[in-house]
Amino acid sequence: MIEVVDIHKRYLRKKVLSGVSFTAEKGQITCLIGINGAGKSTILKAIMGLIPLNSGSIRIDGEQTGKAVYEKAAFVADHLTMPLAMKLSEGFQFMEEFYESWDSERACELMQFFKLDPKERIGNLSKGNAAKYSLLLGLSQDTEYVLMDEPFSGIDMFSKELITEVFASELMGERGVLLTTHEIHDMEYLIDKAVLLQDGVVRKSFNCEDMRSSEGKSVTDVMREVYQP
Amino acid sequence: MNRYLKLVHMEIYRFRYILGGLMALTAVFQISALVSTLLRELSRRELLGENASGSPLSFAWAVASTNFWFIIPMLICIAVIAMYVFWIWYRDWVGRSSFIYRLLMLPTSRRHIYLAKGTAILLFILSLLSFQMVLLLVENMIFNLIVPAELRVESFFAEIIQSNLALKVLVPQSFEQFFYAYGLGMLAVFVIFTAIMLERCYRGIGILYGILYVGACVLVVTSPVLFLGLDESIYYFYPGEILAIASALCGIVLVISLLLGFRLLGRKITV
Repeated sequence: MIEVVDIHKRYLRKKVLSGVSFTAEKGQITCLIGINGAGKSTILKAIMGLIPLNSGSIRIDGEQTGKAVYEKAAFVADHLTMPLAMKLSEGFQFMEEFYESWDSERACELMQFFKLDPKERIGNLSKGNAAKYSLLLGLSQDTEYVLMDEPFSGIDMFSKELITEVFASELMGERGVLLTTHEIHDMEYLIDKAVLLQDGVVRKSFNCEDMRSSEGKSVTDVMREVYQP
Repeated sequence: MNRYLKLVHMEIYRFRYILGGLMALTAVFQISALVSTLLRELSRRELLGENASGSPLSFAWAVASTNFWFIIPMLICIAVIAMYVFWIWYRDWVGRSSFIYRLLMLPTSRRHIYLAKGTAILLFILSLLSFQMVLLLVENMIFNLIVPAELRVESFFAEIIQSNLALKVLVPQSFEQFFYAYGLGMLAVFVIFTAIMLERCYRGIGILYGILYVGACVLVVTSPVLFLGLDESIYYFYPGEILAIASALCGIVLVISLLLGFRLLGRKITV
């Protein structure tokens, strides 16, 4: 379980996160929802130890963020994180050399699934293909958690469909998925838990299925209540 | 350790074209200057009929005569490496791809990233230096091919090094000098790396921290010479003692730079 407890983050005088707490369980898709600037990406970066926090704590299966966590949780950023001069296959080689959790077979399967050319340079990928390649790198690690920052941002309809297909497939297995989005429509039916953020504060956190069965509200309905009261 | 070596390999791999380009540039500048100087000299001698009576040509003379064209590529190499000391970090932050995300998420100690970049810079310098040494041997062979045996005399390697202003500095004759020159160079690299870390951690105000840090390090390293060595009216220390103090201070600055750099990269860095 990813436990985020009372985290605070400030850039100079601007408060970005003010006491954010939530959990993301294994085997579930947890979605951080909020408009731009709500602090969604900051939370993911903090979980992966890419930015320091002012206070609060983050634990993954009880462990503090550190090098061991990088074999346990993969991060799919909203942009490329490999050198543009590398070929796609060289990116695989890099991952294989550094990560024990890297699964080459799965990487090849996903490569075929996304119809990517291993000889292509990373810098030549279109936005949609770059998103697929980033997702591929994240999913080819045999980790217990996958964190994704805006996986559907700015990509075409067919790429979205392909990525959604992956979400629903056995490739996700029993992993815990924590993702961010400001466009809930593409994945509303996929997510198990929603965490609504506004100005660095958690406004509401709920189990989507419970909400549907007990109050008959969709995630979008709850979002309207929270963001447009 | 294994992952550290892989990171060093990756850094060298990423710089390979620039390194190859610098080597090619050095070879083209120096060989073309050498060949044209030799051909010009031989034709001049032939015109003046000095071939038999003139003093024999040596490779050291040829190197001294092409000083400018030998030095230019070396200066270009030094400038490129100096710029790359900064770019080796900033290239991972800027542009469409932020490789720093991946580097920081590697399941290895982050100090390996810092040390790998430092090691790569040292290896680039040493490989360019080694290439220059090999190139001198090749140029000596070219010299022997162009200049007829009866018109030339052999040069000692030390003589060749001494005949060029830049080589004299870059290839010191004693190991001690070599160690001091390149040790100070690497100390400067690590001080700059830590200043870059300060800038990357604290951004705007970090630039000021970085400048202040570099200034403080320069002051500490030069303080024995500035405060104990220049004023000859104070004879508290022998030159050897001043050198020992300076070396100790360099060691302290190196250790502080490394520890601070590791800590900033491990705890404070912001992507």
